[in-house]
Amino acid sequence: MTAQSRRPFSGLLRANPVTLKELRGRMRGTRAFVVMTIYLLLMSGFALLLYVLYSAAVSGDGSIQGGQIGRTLFTGIVGVELFLVTFIVPAFTSVAITGEREKQTYDLLRTTLLSPRALVMGKLLSALSYIFLLLLAAVPLQSVAFLFGGVSEGELALAFVILLVTAIALGTIGLYFSSTMKRTQAASIATYGFALLITIGLPVILVVLFSVIAPFFLALSGTSLSAPVQAALTYGFGLLISTNPLATAYTSQYLLVNQHQIGFFTQVVSSSGVTLNLPLVSPWIVFTVFYLLLSAVLIVASIRRVGRIEGAP
Amino acid sequence: MQNTTTSGTVLPNTTLPNIAAVPVESAAPIIETRDLSMHYGKRIAVNQLTLSVPRGAIYGFIGPNGAGKTSTMRILTTLMLPKSGQAFVAGYEVTKTPRDVRRAIGYMPDFFGVYDDMKVWEYLDFFAACYEIPERDRSGLINDLLQLVDLTDRRDDMVDKLSRGMKQRLCLARTLVHDPQVLILDEPASGLDPRARVEIRELMLELARMGKTIFFSSHILADVAEICSHIGIIESGQMVMQGSMDEIRRKLMPNREVVITLLDKVDEARQALSTVAGVQQVVDLPDDGGKKRLRADFTGEDTVLSAMMSVLNSQGVPVVNFAEQSHDLEEVFMKVTKGVVS
Repeated sequence: MTAQSRRPFSGLLRANPVTLKELRGRMRGTRAFVVMTIYLLLMSGFALLLYVLYSAAVSGDGSIQGGQIGRTLFTGIVGVELFLVTFIVPAFTSVAITGEREKQTYDLLRTTLLSPRALVMGKLLSALSYIFLLLLAAVPLQSVAFLFGGVSEGELALAFVILLVTAIALGTIGLYFSSTMKRTQAASIATYGFALLITIGLPVILVVLFSVIAPFFLALSGTSLSAPVQAALTYGFGLLISTNPLATAYTSQYLLVNQHQIGFFTQVVSSSGVTLNLPLVSPWIVFTVFYLLLSAVLIVASIRRVGRIEGAP
Repeated sequence: MQNTTTSGTVLPNTTLPNIAAVPVESAAPIIETRDLSMHYGKRIAVNQLTLSVPRGAIYGFIGPNGAGKTSTMRILTTLMLPKSGQAFVAGYEVTKTPRDVRRAIGYMPDFFGVYDDMKVWEYLDFFAACYEIPERDRSGLINDLLQLVDLTDRRDDMVDKLSRGMKQRLCLARTLVHDPQVLILDEPASGLDPRARVEIRELMLELARMGKTIFFSSHILADVAEICSHIGIIESGQMVMQGSMDEIRRKLMPNREVVITLLDKVDEARQALSTVAGVQQVVDLPDDGGKKRLRADFTGEDTVLSAMMSVLNSQGVPVVNFAEQSHDLEEVFMKVTKGVVS
C-alpha cells in the first residue's frame, strides 16, 4: 500500500501482473537500452542528414530560411517515427497471446484467477508503454526544430497525438489477431497486412479514386462541379484521409499552418449561384475518434476470445 | 526370503501419508464427476466417466496414452467444457463457478510451461500475483516455496538455466502459490531421469502429509503403486475400475498365492496343505534347480498362511522358501486393460 502510494506511476504498471512480467522481461539487461540507443542514433542521423541536405540546397541562393529547415526536420522525424511505430507495434502485440499459447503457458494463466481482461490489457499496456517511451525519447529530437523556428507547440502536440493513436490502433489490431489465431506467424502476417492497408493501401485507393472519379464528375457537369457534388467529395475524401495516419498528419498540419484551423471550421463551396457553408472538422479529430473506437471494439473482442472456454458452443 | 509380507500390499508403511486420522471414505469426495463425456468431433475422449477422489487421497489416474486422462483433467481445471455430465471440485461445479474451482486447485500440465526470460523468483512472483496474493506477502511465500522444492540457491537464476528436474520442481512450487486444497498433476514424472522422478515422488508424499489431495495421472505404474492411496484405471474414456489400493487388489485378485520350495516330501506337503481350511488347490510347479516347488491358492486372511506354515512344520517337510506372490500393479493393469487397448 505505502509502496504503491509512494510510486504512483510504477504502481499503475505493477498493479497488473502481466504488465509487470512483460516489462521485467523487456527491460532486462542491456537489450532494451541498446534498442533505444540505436533508435535514437538512427533518428539523429536522419535529422542530421536532412539538415545537411536542406541547408546545402537553400544556401545555393544565399538566403537561409530557418523556419523551413525547422519544418523539414520536424516533418522528417515525425515521418520516421510513424514508420517505426507502424513496424514495431505489430511485432510487439501480434505475439502477445499466441506467444503464451506457443510457450504453453496460456493454459496455466487461464487456470489462475487472472481475468481475460487483465491479461489482454496487461499485454497492451506493456507494449504501449515501451512505444510511449520510444516516442517520448524522440521528443527532444523533434524539439531541435524549435531552434530553427517555424514549428509551433500545437504541431508538436498534434504529431504526438497522431503517433500515439496510430500506436494504440495497431497495438489493438495485433492483439486481436493474436487472440483469434493459433500461431504467431499467422497473427503477424495478418497484423502487418492490416498495417500496410491503412498506411499504404488506402492512399493508393485514394489516388486511384481521385484520378477516376474527378474526371468523371468534371465530364458530367461540364467545366465546374455543382455545389452538392463538391460537398459530397469534400466529405468523402475527408473521411478517407482520416483513416490514414500520414494523410491525417499532413492535412491536419496543413490546415493548422495555413488556415490556423485545429478543430471545427466551415468551408464555403459555391458553384453556379449555389453557395454552401460546409461545417468541417480537422482530420486528426475524426482519425482519433475512429481509431479509438475501433481499438475499443477490438479490445472487447480480444477479451471475449481469451475468455472463451474450449468446448463452449 | 522374499515377499514374505503377508498383507499383500506393496506400500511400505513408512512412506504412507498420515491419512488415517481423517475418515477418508465417509467424507464427501473432493473431486467428483458424474457421467462426464467429452468428444472432439467424432472421436470420443471421455465417455460417461464417473470418478470420485476422497479428501486427502493420493489418487493415481492411470491409463494408456489417449485414454482420456488429459481431457478429464482439462475439464476439472476449467479449461474445457464437457459435452455432458457434471464435475465438482471442492464442492464447486466446474462449469458454473470456475473461479472458485480455480482458487481450490493447483494445476500442472504435462509440459513445463515456463517463461525462459524470467528469474526463478520472478516466475513464482508472477503467478502469485495472478492469484491475487498481495505484493507484501509474496517475498516470504516465494522463499518458503523454494525451500520446499529445494531450489533456494537457484532463486536468482534464469529459468532456462534449470535442469528438467528443477523445472518440474519449480512448476510444482508454482501450483502451490495460492495454497490450494487439490493438486491436479498431469504426468508429473514423465520425461524425468530416475533421480528427479524420486524427488518428485517424495515431494508429492510431503504435500499429501501437508493435507493436500493429489490427483495425478501416469502411465508409469511403478510410481503409482509406490505412493498412491487410491487409483482409477481409465481406458478409452471409460473408468474401468477405481477404489483404494486394497480394494482394487481384492477385486482383481480374490485368490492369494503362496509358492513353497522344498527339498523333499512333496507328496506329504501336498497332502498337508490341502487339509488347511481356506486352501483351494495345490499345484505342482516345475523344478527350480533340482528343488521341488508347489503353489497353493487360498482365500482369506493371513491366519491361513500361518496355518500352512505350522502344518508343514509339524509334518517335518524341509521347506527352504515360503513366499506369497504379490502381484504388482503392472500385472493388474495388464489384466484389466487386456483386449481393450488396440
